[in-house]
Amino acid sequence: MFQAASAKLAQTLLVLLFVSAASFAFLKLAPGDPVSIMLGSDYSKSSYDQLTHALGLDQPVVFQYGNWLADFVRGNWGTSYITSQDIFELAVLQALPVTLTLAALSLLIALVIGIPTGVLAALYRNSWADVLATTLAIGGNAFPSFYLGILLIWLFGVDLGWFPVLGFVAPWEDFWQGLWHLTLPAFTLGAWYIGLIARITRSSLLEVMGQPYILAAKARGEPAWRVVWVHGMRNVLMPLVTVIGLQLGGMLRGAVMTEVVFALPGLGMMVTTAVLNREYIVVQAGIMITGLLFVAVNLAVDQTYQFLDPRLRRR
Amino acid sequence: MHSAVALTPRVADIPAIQEPLLNVSDLSLRRGKAVVLDGVSLALRPGETLGLIGESGAGKSTLALALIGLLRAPEVQLDGSMRFRDTELTQLREADYRRLRGNKIGLIFQDATAALNPCFTVGAQIAEPLKRHLRLSRWARRERAAELMHSVGIPEPRMRLDAYPHELSGGMQQRVMIAVALACNPELLLADEPTSALDVTIQAQIMELILDRVRALNSSAIFVLHDLALGAQVCDRIAVMYAGQIVEEGPSEHVLAAPLHPYTQGLKSCVVELGSRRLVPIPGQIPPLNAMPGGCRFAPRCPKAKTICSEQRPQAETRDGRQVACWFID
Repeated sequence: MFQAASAKLAQTLLVLLFVSAASFAFLKLAPGDPVSIMLGSDYSKSSYDQLTHALGLDQPVVFQYGNWLADFVRGNWGTSYITSQDIFELAVLQALPVTLTLAALSLLIALVIGIPTGVLAALYRNSWADVLATTLAIGGNAFPSFYLGILLIWLFGVDLGWFPVLGFVAPWEDFWQGLWHLTLPAFTLGAWYIGLIARITRSSLLEVMGQPYILAAKARGEPAWRVVWVHGMRNVLMPLVTVIGLQLGGMLRGAVMTEVVFALPGLGMMVTTAVLNREYIVVQAGIMITGLLFVAVNLAVDQTYQFLDPRLRRR
Repeated sequence: MHSAVALTPRVADIPAIQEPLLNVSDLSLRRGKAVVLDGVSLALRPGETLGLIGESGAGKSTLALALIGLLRAPEVQLDGSMRFRDTELTQLREADYRRLRGNKIGLIFQDATAALNPCFTVGAQIAEPLKRHLRLSRWARRERAAELMHSVGIPEPRMRLDAYPHELSGGMQQRVMIAVALACNPELLLADEPTSALDVTIQAQIMELILDRVRALNSSAIFVLHDLALGAQVCDRIAVMYAGQIVEEGPSEHVLAAPLHPYTQGLKSCVVELGSRRLVPIPGQIPPLNAMPGGCRFAPRCPKAKTICSEQRPQAETRDGRQVACWFID
């Protein structure tokens, strides 16, 4: 058990190291020069060289990477060229909680709508409920989030005036205001997930409901709702958790769009701004956080399997 | 394996006149246009055991599922009558039927590995009907579940209460299924090929166990089997099914010793007997449900078939204390 866990951890670290090296290399190859951006349109050769040296950009790339990595691990992520803000503070303390809140709320919305929709579709297969659920699923997957976001802003924000159009209020400061501001963005980001979750729930439940143990539960006199929601859904959790975990990348990608559309100060917004400003080190920080999140979720999903499926538990 | 099961039928123990526990008459089950069960009639007295014998596809398992109410309208169309004590099962509301299932009527499945939910402990699955029907407390359920596991021969039941199905062997899983089916002391036990998924060495043990428990509880039982000799050995009476119909029904020893219906005769000669090198298979197979012959459904495979057989359906006749549906009973 311990050996398996440490092997997993080593593997995870290797993945993260690869992510950091690859992203560092790609960003070095990207066009644009941070030094000239920082200095503005008018600067002398000597001040350019001086700043390049001060940022360590005159060293070989490998050294730059090594220095950056050593600093990164110590939590010393540097300061933004533009706002002179500490990047660790900017990324981890300010942007990350926003994105996590958005993602968690989106997932919650997707689960609350997606699971019952999938169950209905499976139980009343080929009925109108199934058609509706399938349409929702395909529609949610096909609709780009930036378009849906704008549509929702136009309808519920501008036209009906039910929800605020832009901006972010931290739910940990003012819960209801925060929730109110996050409703449209969370729905925009969750829409894509609703379809996915409904689809997986439908197909998994259909398979499970055909199993003899479902018939056996009925033969014990279990009421229909318990047969579905306890005996059936307990076995649907495994594939559901797998898909949710695997699709977290899609969620983070969608968060970038959603944050930009709704002007939420999250990781996606931070990275987008940094890309436009050619601020490598901020982009790098964003990529590393995303990578860490991704790896953490995968580890968590692995652990959840053992919790969910007794057959995978070690005694 | 037949010789391994040394069990005597107990026709003698049963009082001759007694209200039947179960009375099925002229039961038909249609799935769309296909007639899966066609005019099935049988009666079962309290404490009696009946073997439903036939090839796969004969409708034996369908009959068992219909009896426990897991095949009902609107999924299928049921005609005729199934009386269980004073209750007409075909007319029963679902909520009332649910109170019988796992309580008064128990069902043992063919493949315990598939019929036990992999995500719940065996203790929880045995305790379920105890909670549902007997409303026992959590503590009482655990106690009773352990007792039940002990009664079906599971060693160290208290330790195994919290085991998951995959942690038990196939034989142990089937014992758990039996414990589940018997949890509420059912008056009628249905056993759908309870041993065919098991090793031969375990089969006799499990069969013996079920019979033993059924007798201890003084329940009636219907065994769905495909083996005529085994059925005759363990059951008081035998009903031979072919293509959704009962073709011959009567006391086990008579049916086995001198089968009257050509299909029963065929089933008997299919079995390899010690010292005999002859094995006579029944040619062909059960016709598909959408292409059932009009007269006797067995006519196309029957060695004795004449013109009338494919034109008119033979009605069941009483002969030597049994019911036989054939135009040419010798």
